[in-house]
Amino acid sequence: MTVSRARALALLAGAPLLSACGSRGSRVVVASKNFTESFVIAEIYAQALERAGMRVERRFNLGSTEIVLAAMQRGDVDCYPEYTGTALIDVLHMPPMQDPHALYATVAREFEKRYALTWLQPSPMNDSQGLATTKAVAARERIATLSQLAPIAARLRLATIQEFLSRPDGLPGLQRVYGGFDFRDVRTYDIALKYEALVSGRADIATAFTTDGAIATDDLVVLRDDRHLWPPYNVAPVVRAATLARLPHFVPVLDGVSPRITDRAAQQMNAAVESRHQDPADVAAAFLRNDRP
Amino acid sequence: MSAAAIELRGVTVRYPGTDRAAVEDVSLEVAPGELVVLLGPSGCGKSTLLRTVNRLVQLESGSVSVDGRDVSSFDPVELRRGIGYAIQAVGLFAHMTVAQNVAVVPSLLGWPRADIAARIDELLALVGLDPARYRNRRPRELSGGEAQRVGVARAIAARPRVLLMDEPFGAVDALVRASLQRELARIVAELATTTLFVTHDFDEALKLADRIVVMHGGRIEQAAAPDDLVERPATAYVRELVHAGDDVYRRYYEHVRETLARN
Amino acid sequence: MQYGLTHSGKIAALAAAHVEIVVAALVVALAIAVPLGVYAARRPHLSAWVLGALGALYTIPSLALLAVLVEFLGLGFAPIFVALVAYAQFMLARNVVAGINGVDPAQVDAARGLGMSPREVLMRVEFPQALPVVVGGVRVAAIASIAIATLGGYVGGSGLGVLIFNGLTLHQPEMIVAGSVAASALAVVADGLLRLAERRARAAMD
Repeated sequence: MTVSRARALALLAGAPLLSACGSRGSRVVVASKNFTESFVIAEIYAQALERAGMRVERRFNLGSTEIVLAAMQRGDVDCYPEYTGTALIDVLHMPPMQDPHALYATVAREFEKRYALTWLQPSPMNDSQGLATTKAVAARERIATLSQLAPIAARLRLATIQEFLSRPDGLPGLQRVYGGFDFRDVRTYDIALKYEALVSGRADIATAFTTDGAIATDDLVVLRDDRHLWPPYNVAPVVRAATLARLPHFVPVLDGVSPRITDRAAQQMNAAVESRHQDPADVAAAFLRNDRP
Repeated sequence: MSAAAIELRGVTVRYPGTDRAAVEDVSLEVAPGELVVLLGPSGCGKSTLLRTVNRLVQLESGSVSVDGRDVSSFDPVELRRGIGYAIQAVGLFAHMTVAQNVAVVPSLLGWPRADIAARIDELLALVGLDPARYRNRRPRELSGGEAQRVGVARAIAARPRVLLMDEPFGAVDALVRASLQRELARIVAELATTTLFVTHDFDEALKLADRIVVMHGGRIEQAAAPDDLVERPATAYVRELVHAGDDVYRRYYEHVRETLARN
Repeated sequence: MQYGLTHSGKIAALAAAHVEIVVAALVVALAIAVPLGVYAARRPHLSAWVLGALGALYTIPSLALLAVLVEFLGLGFAPIFVALVAYAQFMLARNVVAGINGVDPAQVDAARGLGMSPREVLMRVEFPQALPVVVGGVRVAAIASIAIATLGGYVGGSGLGVLIFNGLTLHQPEMIVAGSVAASALAVVADGLLRLAERRARAAMD
């Protein structure tokens, strides 16, 4: 091939590289972790920012909190949804706190200090651990809280995932804080099949995340954690301080969206994606459209 | 274009990693227009010696000159463009047509396109191939003899003053070889190019050579005109070579006949 | 297949991004592999080392190499691009070496003897004849690259891997199928086109 053709091809090859290293301008990168809820919330943030006129690049499905944080600090990512409980325990390695406001204040302060990352307004939704049951079982056993469940667990069957049995804040934690919780039968399932066991009557209680889609879909009841074993996990946008300096109108855009993400909204959106196989982008768009100023 | 003289003085060639020299202290003078045959068994150093002239092989000691100028003083690429080169395997470029093959050296030298086209036709006719039929053929489509002819045409395309040929007719059958030898003798006589011709075939040497240089073990046994070689072999090896087979006299008389036919 | 129909725009965009990164990587990989291959082909002792080293690189599991590259290059386009270039080296350089060494030595000798400079021998005799083998190497490298590029979905890049990995996370098998089928289709098309090119190159030879 001629020299000029070779050069043209090299330019063609280099173009994507060049654009990747290009200047940021009003371009922001939004990341998510690798589970449905993180996708949906990140997509909500991304679309809200796009509606406000920013160019958003999505780097979703990142493998773990460590990876995302590393990317944030490197500047590969500008913003992602994080949970207060996760931040406290897994990132800051501090002991659990119960009060959601104090918890938020703590993580916000420490993240600013240690990582130059800013926490924007949190959402009311709390994606914590929990135990769920059907309305029928709740009515039959007359339970609404974990304290009520603890003594009668001996005649009930639990459906759970492997991790729950060994985590310190899993079954051991329940037994430590509430006493009892000596289930008649404990079976582990794949995360996708756990609720099926509950709904089909092969189990009475299932471990849950309190915003799981199945709770909305299968009309389940989450028992109240009245002794506060599990800390709150409120989600909020975490943004690089440098990005906020560059794009200050980030704040009102996302602060306008966060308060509307409630437990119920989260459950419904998760259900839409996981059971009805809708695209997270469509689900997020629908959520934003219900916006009433 | 006048032919050049070749002078080899004390040429020694040793390939790396071998003890015995491939060519040992060889001196030889080739007069302009002479056709000298390097004759010997495989491994005697004749091909190596041939390739010192166009610097495909490095000398350990000694010198090679063309027209009084040491070949090492030339740029090797330029040197080779002025020297014709034809080998036994021919080495026609498989991805080029016959015409493109023949045109290689003229196009390297930057001849005008029209000149090249004319020269190709001239050469193909000279080697006995109809230009119209052969110009656009691929080497794959040629017979052994046809390929050899194209190889010769390619070698002399740019009118070199020196022609090096390494067993160019070795790979074809006896009948074709005989006809090619006659053609070559005619061409070389016409062009009056100084030619160094390598072969292991005594008959071929007798037919073509102005002088035969018999080589053995990297050294020259004898360098003489065919008559002298046959009548007065200088060493035991040459004597054995000459007398190999019973019909030496028949061959000798055949040679005389050929010589007469040529002149 | 329903997913494929309703999201054809998105799939097409991701497929285009996939093609873009594979082509870019192959071009750069060739630019490195060709000189490297020519250099190694001329030095038989060295070529064993060079090809051995590249072969060792090739055996590193792609995910592991990618993780290391993400450490240094961050997420997105860069680590995948470098990984693709690295993996393609083995197949390309090996075929360049094989192609050059496969040229009839008599033709190379004739070329030198007739007065071609080393560069002319390379450009006028060796490359044209090595071309079919090199194109064969590009074909193999292209198919492997299309597969490896799906890992882009794992490190925040673009391409059809995004569909596959998102589908895994969101428990949406249709996405996984759509991404896989599209990637396979790309591979089949690439294979077909390059086979054609290989055949044309071979025909030009004889």
